[in-house]
Amino acid sequence: MKIRRFLTRRLTFIIPLLVGIVFFTFMLVRLGGQDPVEMLAGPTATQGQIDRIEQELGLDQPLLTQFGIYLMNVAQGDLGKSWISTRPVLDDILARLPVTLELLFLGIGLGALVGIPAGMRGAAHPNGWFDQIARAISLLGFSIPTYWLGLVLLFVFFYLLGWAPPGIGRISMMVIPPPTVTGSYLVDSIIAGDWEATRSALGHLVLPVVSIAIISAAPIIKQTRAIAVEIYSGDAVRYAKACGLPDRQVRKIVMRNATVPILTFVGTEITGLVGTASLIEFVFAWGGLGQYGLNAIVNGDFAAVQGYVLALALFSVVVFLVVDLLVVLLEPRNVDAT
Amino acid sequence: MTLLAIDNLETDFVSRTLDDEIRVAHALNKVSFEVNRGEIVGLVGETGAGKSLTAQSVLGLLRAPARVVGGEAVFDGRDLLTLPPAEMNELRGYEIGLVVQNPRTSLDPLCRIGDQLVRMQRAHRPVNGRVARKKAVDMLAAVGIPEPERRMRAWPHELSGGMAQRVLMAMALINEPRLLIADEPTTGLDVTVQAAILDLLRQIVLERSMGALIITHDLGVVAHYCERVAVMFAGSIVEEGTVDAVFETPSHPYTRALLSATPERLKLGSGRQLGGPPPDLYNLPIGCHYRDRCERVRDICTTPPPATDLGEGHRVQCHFAKDLEGQPL
Repeated sequence: MKIRRFLTRRLTFIIPLLVGIVFFTFMLVRLGGQDPVEMLAGPTATQGQIDRIEQELGLDQPLLTQFGIYLMNVAQGDLGKSWISTRPVLDDILARLPVTLELLFLGIGLGALVGIPAGMRGAAHPNGWFDQIARAISLLGFSIPTYWLGLVLLFVFFYLLGWAPPGIGRISMMVIPPPTVTGSYLVDSIIAGDWEATRSALGHLVLPVVSIAIISAAPIIKQTRAIAVEIYSGDAVRYAKACGLPDRQVRKIVMRNATVPILTFVGTEITGLVGTASLIEFVFAWGGLGQYGLNAIVNGDFAAVQGYVLALALFSVVVFLVVDLLVVLLEPRNVDAT
Repeated sequence: MTLLAIDNLETDFVSRTLDDEIRVAHALNKVSFEVNRGEIVGLVGETGAGKSLTAQSVLGLLRAPARVVGGEAVFDGRDLLTLPPAEMNELRGYEIGLVVQNPRTSLDPLCRIGDQLVRMQRAHRPVNGRVARKKAVDMLAAVGIPEPERRMRAWPHELSGGMAQRVLMAMALINEPRLLIADEPTTGLDVTVQAAILDLLRQIVLERSMGALIITHDLGVVAHYCERVAVMFAGSIVEEGTVDAVFETPSHPYTRALLSATPERLKLGSGRQLGGPPPDLYNLPIGCHYRDRCERVRDICTTPPPATDLGEGHRVQCHFAKDLEGQPL
C-alpha cells in the first residue's frame, strides 16, 4: 500500500521532469552554434542545395514550432532520424543501450564488490595497515584520468604482455557474434550456448570493465569508509559493544546500518559514471551509447544528441527510482514519511 | 557481599600536541569504591568529573586516547582491568548489565525491539528461539511496558523516550546480571517518568539482590534511591559513605557546596552557587585538586589531602574533614 503510494507520487513527477529535460536539450543543441546543414551539404554546396536540406530537416521553421513537432513525435515514441546514420535515433539507442549498460554495471559492480568491503574493513580498524593501503589506492583512483587509465591498461596488457585482446570492439573479429537477444554479447552468447563467443566477449570486457571498476571503486571506498566510521562511533554500535555482542554481530549491525547510505551513494555513482564510461568506450572503440552520444555531439547530429540526453535522463530517473524504492523497503523509518 | 571492588583505578588521556609533545591528563586518580549485593551506589559529581569514565574503564569500553594505567576492579574474583577482551565481552551484558543515557539512539534503529532482546540473549548463550522470545515478552512486562507482545514488533523510533529507557532496562536485565551499571539513566526524561523508572530500577535490584551503580549529577536521585554515595571531583573520589552519613554530615568542602546548591536552598537564600570551572586535567593543582575553588583553602592544601575515615565507611579526602564533620552548611 505504502509502496504503491510512493510509486504513484514518484511516477507523476517523472513526466514534467522529462518534458523539461527535452526542452533544455532541444534549445541547448540549437543554440550551440553548430550548423548541421553546412556539415551535411559540404563546402561545395550551392545555396539552393542548402535551402533544400534546411527544408528537409525542418530547420526553416520557427524554434518553438520545431520544439512542438519534436515533443509530439517523442510522445509517440519517435525520436527523429540521425542525420549521420540515417536510421531512427530510437533504433540506434536501443541497439547501443545494452552495450553500455553491460559495461557500466559490470564495472561498477566490480568496483562496489571491491570498494564496499575495503571501506568497511578500513573503518573497522581506522588508520590500521589495511585502511592506509585502501585509502592510498582510493586516492590513486581519484587522481588517474579516465582515458589515460584505459590507454595504460591497453599498453601493458595488450601491447607489452599480450594477455588482453586489442581495444577494438566487443568481440574478436574472427568470432561470429551470437544472435541478438539482449544486445549484450556476453549474455547473448551464453543464451546461444556459444562458448567461443562467450570467451571472446568476456576477454574483451576485462580491460574496460576493470578501468571503470578502478575509477568507481575510489569514491566507493572513501564514502563507505566515512559512512561506516560514523556508524562505528555512533551510540548504537557503542551500546552493542557494551552489551557484549560478539564482533561478528557488531560488524553485521554496522553493515546493515550502512546499507541505505551506501546504496544511495552507489546510485548517484552509477548515473555519474555514464560520462566516464563514454570515455572508456571511446578508448576501447566499444560502440555503445556513450560513444554514439559523443559522436553525435561532435557532428551536430541534433536528433541523436537529444535522444542520447533523453535516454541518459530516463536512465538516471530509473536508477534513482529503484534506489529510492530499495531504501523505502530497507529503512523502517522512511516508510511513514513517503 | 562485595560484588565489585574498584581499587586505586587510574585512567589517563594521552594525547600528542601539534608540536609532537606528549600530554598526559590524569582523568581518574586512585578511584576506589565498592558495590555490594542488594545495594545501590550513587556516583555523583559535576560534568567532566570522571563518572562515566569510571564506568567505561571498568567495563573495558574506553576509546583512545583514554586508557587505564593502574589499579584494579575485581568482580567475581577476576580483575576486569586485565581481563582478555573476549572474556570481558562475555561478562558485559551477561553478568554486568549496562543502562546508557541515550536510549533512543543506542538501540539498533534497524532491528525490532523483540529481535534485539533475543539477540542480547543469544550473544551470550545458545537459547531456543521461542524460549528467548517468551523471556523477552516477560521482561518487557516486568519493566512496565504495556502490551509487551505487540511492542516486541515495534521499531526503536516508534518508542517515546521513557519507553525506550524501559526497553533499555529490559535489555540490561534480560540475562539476569548480578551487577547493573546505569549511566545517567534518566537524563532527558521528565520528572514523573524519571521517578517511575528509578522506582522500577530499585525494586528490581532489591528483588533480585543484585548490586547497582547509578551515575548521576542529580543529588535528589541519590538521596531517594541509593544506599551509599561516592562524590567525584576532578577524577578523584572526595567523599564516600552511606547516603545518611554523607547527606547529614557532609565533610568535604565540595560535597558541602554541592548540597547547598540545590534549587530549594538557593530559592530560600541559604544556598550558594557553585563557583569556578573544573580544573584543567592536564595541569591539576598540586596537593588538593579542589583547592583553587575551595573557600577554606590554607597553606597545607598544597600537600595531598589524607583519606580521613570518619567511621562506618564514611571516608573524606580533606585536611579539614574532622573540623567540618557536623558543621551546619
